[in-house]
Amino acid sequence: MTAERGVTAAPAPGTAVPAGVAGGYFGRALVVDVTDATTTTVTLSERVLRDYVGGAGLGVWLMRHLAPPGVDPLGPQAPLAFVFSPLVGTPLTTSAKFAVVAKSPLTGFLTDALASSHFAIAGKLTGHDAIVVTGRASQPSVLLIEGGDVRLVSAAGEWGRSAAEAEASVRERFGRPWRVAAIGVAGERQVRFATVSHDGRHAGRGGLGAVLGAKNIKAIAVRPTTKVAPADPAGVLAAARDLRARSFGAATAKYRELGTLANLLAFNAISTLPTRNFQTATFEGAEQLAAEDLAQARGVTKNSCASCTIGCEHIYRRKGGKQLRVEYENVFALGPMCGVSDPDEVLEASARCDELGLDTISAGGTIAWAMECAERGLIDAPWLRFGDGSAVLRALDEIVEGTQLGALLARGSKHAAEQVGQGSGDFAPHVKGMEMPGYEPRTLHAMALGLAVNARGADHNRSGAYEADLAGDLDRLDGGAAHARAAVETEDRAAVMDSLILCKFLRGVFDEPFAEWAQLLSLVTGWDVDAAELRETAVRIVLAKRAYNAQEGWVPSDDWLPARLLDDTLTLGSGRVGALSRERLRVMIDAYYEARGLDAEGRPATETARRLTG
Amino acid sequence: MGTPKASLPWHGSTLLRQVAGVAARALEATGGGPVVVVRAPGQELPELPDTAEVHDDPVEGRGPLQGIAVGLAAVADRAEVAFVCSTDLPFLQVAFIGRVLAAFDDAGVPPDVVLPMARGHRQPLAAGYRTSLAPRVAKLVEADRLKPAFLFEECEVRRLDDAALHADARLAAADPLLDSVVNVNEPDDYAAALARPAPEVTVQCFGVLASQGRRGSRTVRAATIGTAAEAIGLPFDRHVLAALNGDQTSRDPHLPLMTGDQVSFLSADAGG
Repeated sequence: MTAERGVTAAPAPGTAVPAGVAGGYFGRALVVDVTDATTTTVTLSERVLRDYVGGAGLGVWLMRHLAPPGVDPLGPQAPLAFVFSPLVGTPLTTSAKFAVVAKSPLTGFLTDALASSHFAIAGKLTGHDAIVVTGRASQPSVLLIEGGDVRLVSAAGEWGRSAAEAEASVRERFGRPWRVAAIGVAGERQVRFATVSHDGRHAGRGGLGAVLGAKNIKAIAVRPTTKVAPADPAGVLAAARDLRARSFGAATAKYRELGTLANLLAFNAISTLPTRNFQTATFEGAEQLAAEDLAQARGVTKNSCASCTIGCEHIYRRKGGKQLRVEYENVFALGPMCGVSDPDEVLEASARCDELGLDTISAGGTIAWAMECAERGLIDAPWLRFGDGSAVLRALDEIVEGTQLGALLARGSKHAAEQVGQGSGDFAPHVKGMEMPGYEPRTLHAMALGLAVNARGADHNRSGAYEADLAGDLDRLDGGAAHARAAVETEDRAAVMDSLILCKFLRGVFDEPFAEWAQLLSLVTGWDVDAAELRETAVRIVLAKRAYNAQEGWVPSDDWLPARLLDDTLTLGSGRVGALSRERLRVMIDAYYEARGLDAEGRPATETARRLTG
Repeated sequence: MGTPKASLPWHGSTLLRQVAGVAARALEATGGGPVVVVRAPGQELPELPDTAEVHDDPVEGRGPLQGIAVGLAAVADRAEVAFVCSTDLPFLQVAFIGRVLAAFDDAGVPPDVVLPMARGHRQPLAAGYRTSLAPRVAKLVEADRLKPAFLFEECEVRRLDDAALHADARLAAADPLLDSVVNVNEPDDYAAALARPAPEVTVQCFGVLASQGRRGSRTVRAATIGTAAEAIGLPFDRHVLAALNGDQTSRDPHLPLMTGDQVSFLSADAGG
């Protein structure tokens, strides 16, 4: 491993916390080159840790310092980082999370997917704040990390199996203390929206599974070997008790009682449910997919992620007796987006995505685009029609099998539209190549902006500006400067939550979020962090992501929305028209750039922006 | 009346809050614009929507034309036309305001004033005015010509009788008797107004709010979002949002409702 751009790299030491490192950290990242199973350690200074915290924030710092500019995301030089955070391992609820960060093979820009599981705790307690994988193994392999010891073993028994099966197999081979993140067949075949999975959870967006698959790594297994202590154990314990109590309140009731699928019927009522590839924003079959009824008819149990007191996982019974964790985005993407209303078919498609290791949002969005192409006669697939659940299942299988159509769709809707042409790019439902989540931009104007400018692409977890649209303070059909300010605020909050890391389902319990998060970080690290510092940290992380993208070829026109969303209008139940226009979107983007200290081309303009961009 | 009309209670709200809320809804439906409340100098007002602007008459007791002059001047740089009304119209309908404002675009000579002739009377305090009239109205006040009729003599007035008003199907359905112009001048008027049944609206709860027997849509009588929530036993707290007719969401319990409205109650943490 060569030290690059100021990064200090050295052979991996033992796993004890080095002297002088802030609470909650080890002060180092383990870099594993799976070409020959060699390791180096990157020292993470207190300045770096304080500036980027962990998770998505530290992930972008690692990418800027370890990824060669212009690297092929599926090439051996491309790093894939599993990034932990100072809160991981504390009793703070929802903190057992980690970020998987890489250059996305779907977008060509940064992607950072978060997930919750015991892998976060075990991975961190190998003695590292991050584990970075580079290189390419000579054969399908499992990467085992136990403290500073790293081994590559054959994955012959796991290759070709689902992520869940691979995870179970690895734990059977090496023992229950090992925690495993694995890819499905989609990752092995480098489908550009393949996931990394563990404990039934998925780091879903941006094709991280393909990056791991390109390295010939089926699974990464980690085993804890050390401990890490917060600076103020008693203070953290008291804060954890308080947060735990608050997590049982009304602010999280939706997640506890029905889960995110509760969005579906509500979104339908307010014309924000994208349907049939964004041709409409209400779905006549929404009632059939409503959590309010499905939970009664099919709900089996509820689960929690590791170290979580909310318990948002709602497990439904599928046809044939199997079970499935159901979320709004799965059901939206494979249901209304594809015009499918039969719950059996939608749940089956969602389960198939899990088995194959596919991101449901990109899979559904890409298939919906293909359905529209087929109905317009732009691609030769007469069987692919909106509303046909069996067609969705067939398309999912073909994507992974690599048939002619499947290979086209396996690159996502942007690339597929570039191949098909004939105006199909106008209705390809993506930003920067990432398929859009279940929030209709024409009736959620702050969200429209958030989707357009976000570094990861069309994404509801790094922006979250729909909160501003739905809070009742802004006219969600009349986007302007106020919406830009709201989008900045929600993006900043997400940047901090994704770096600490805390689950966003907890966000409603914080009255003064930045101040309260600063207090938590101070208790863990021993730093005297305040709200102002954390606000600056948020801006730094957002700008660092933009800087990484700029290095990888981002141009201003990448901050934009598909033509359909700018040309076609929607009529709401009230009679008002939901419409975006190029002019309106431009005004909001300009206001966003100004608020971020960027020039008209989206590049750092102010001294503060340049300083924080680094 | 014993109490200033603006502060008269109205179904958990006040008359002024009701009228200002209806005006805000009408403006939202027609593309937005400010709601301006003109008061006597220093007059105490009940709570208003956050978006309402308050302006003072320069002197007290100069009649409605002065208030019209102040109001039109306040919005002249932001709007070409304005709907002007008094505070004592408890049954004012969103569709009525929409009809009056739309009449500025009807065929014929562009009017300066759209004057409803509803229920057999001129309704200068439920009428539309071009905001460019503000200086002319101010001059009339200076000249002590304080009746709206003096203004109408000087400008182009488009009169809308009952039939012309009801040419708008939405208004005909929402307000067949044109109660929008019914005002309350005496205690008996007020008591009679309060005794009328509240608007009939459809209410539906979503997500966790639909538990405890609240699944499905229900018809209730409610004058505001707050009373609609109350009617179905739903605490309208910070964890709850209301969407009106599938459109804007609101946390304002005083938001007025009209007959036929559909109210959707959602979890405030909508999203995933």
